[in-house]
Amino acid sequence: MTHQTETPRIEAERREKVGTTYSRRLRKAGRLPAIIYGHKKTPVAVSVDEKQMLILLHQGTHVLEMNVKGGPTETVLVKDLQFGFLGDDVVHIDFARVDLEEEVTVQVNIVFVGQPHAATQAGAILNHDRTSLEVICRVNAIPGEIRADLTLMGEGTILTVGDLALPPGVRAAADPGTPVSHITFVKKEEEAVGEEVEVAATGDEPEVITEAKPGDEKDTKAKGSEGSG
Amino acid sequence: MRMPKRIKFRKQQRGTLRGNATRGNFVAFGDYGLQSIEAHWVSARQIEAGRIAAQHFLRRQGKVYIRIFPDKPVSKKPLETRMGKGKADTSYWAARVKPGTMLYEIAGVPEDLAKQAMARIAHKMPVRCRFVGRRLAV
Repeated sequence: MTHQTETPRIEAERREKVGTTYSRRLRKAGRLPAIIYGHKKTPVAVSVDEKQMLILLHQGTHVLEMNVKGGPTETVLVKDLQFGFLGDDVVHIDFARVDLEEEVTVQVNIVFVGQPHAATQAGAILNHDRTSLEVICRVNAIPGEIRADLTLMGEGTILTVGDLALPPGVRAAADPGTPVSHITFVKKEEEAVGEEVEVAATGDEPEVITEAKPGDEKDTKAKGSEGSG
Repeated sequence: MRMPKRIKFRKQQRGTLRGNATRGNFVAFGDYGLQSIEAHWVSARQIEAGRIAAQHFLRRQGKVYIRIFPDKPVSKKPLETRMGKGKADTSYWAARVKPGTMLYEIAGVPEDLAKQAMARIAHKMPVRCRFVGRRLAV
């Protein structure tokens, strides 16, 4: 398990003009709009260097020392990310002011290592139910990643949150029985490929729930004829 | 082929495909995904063709997730029919795909293999697609 030994520092600039137009201009200039809030202080709109920030985020950084130009240096936690329409480019970051001794809930990436015994059998498929885990810990003890040793599965076919070796002072927010990874078996290749064909053969037309059923139609006709006769 | 089990109305108006996808636009279940960068209707037949292409290529490895469902009935008049006489019967079922919609996801295979499988699926799709991985999480 890797701990972040030193809190990374990042320079930020105050945003005097906020809104879509000014945020777009900032993004074009290679900066990322962000906001700092929390600890009952007024929120501050800032911008950070996009390249530097993305490198830190890809490294799994959660806590930063933010030096706002012309203001105090603050310890902040990456609270939320906003993405563009294709869902992967970061367009805005939320930072929350924190104390290093404060307890917080954060998502930490799970890194899977090793090969479980059951996965070596024919037709076995290893599925990862979750690739990140919500943990509760002190700000100065947030792990960079959590290593999930798949060899711990042994002869079994499921690895749960309870099986993960978490660093001291870190506890999982999820139930210990929550699956992290499991193995499923495919019996025959033909079944796997042709499973949808069966569905097509059985159900040609979907059931229309608002349409009158044949029995109801007869009743209404009978009532109509009675009325006319 | 996939289609709804129960529906409220037999036929639908055509509607429009405006804007970008705001839901289902990131890799949620697998490790890698195939994302649409155009808007189009994707028929149940095309979805099925993509699934078969991927599963034949991957053999028994990994898991393929289909993130779109054809819930829109598309009607078509029979050939050599005069206009009028009401809306025709349902010809096929389609999924509405907007730019950003995640079409397929693959889990449990290395990146290069997933990329090759997705390329095979992309050939079956009526839209231009791109290969994506999981996005950042905090």
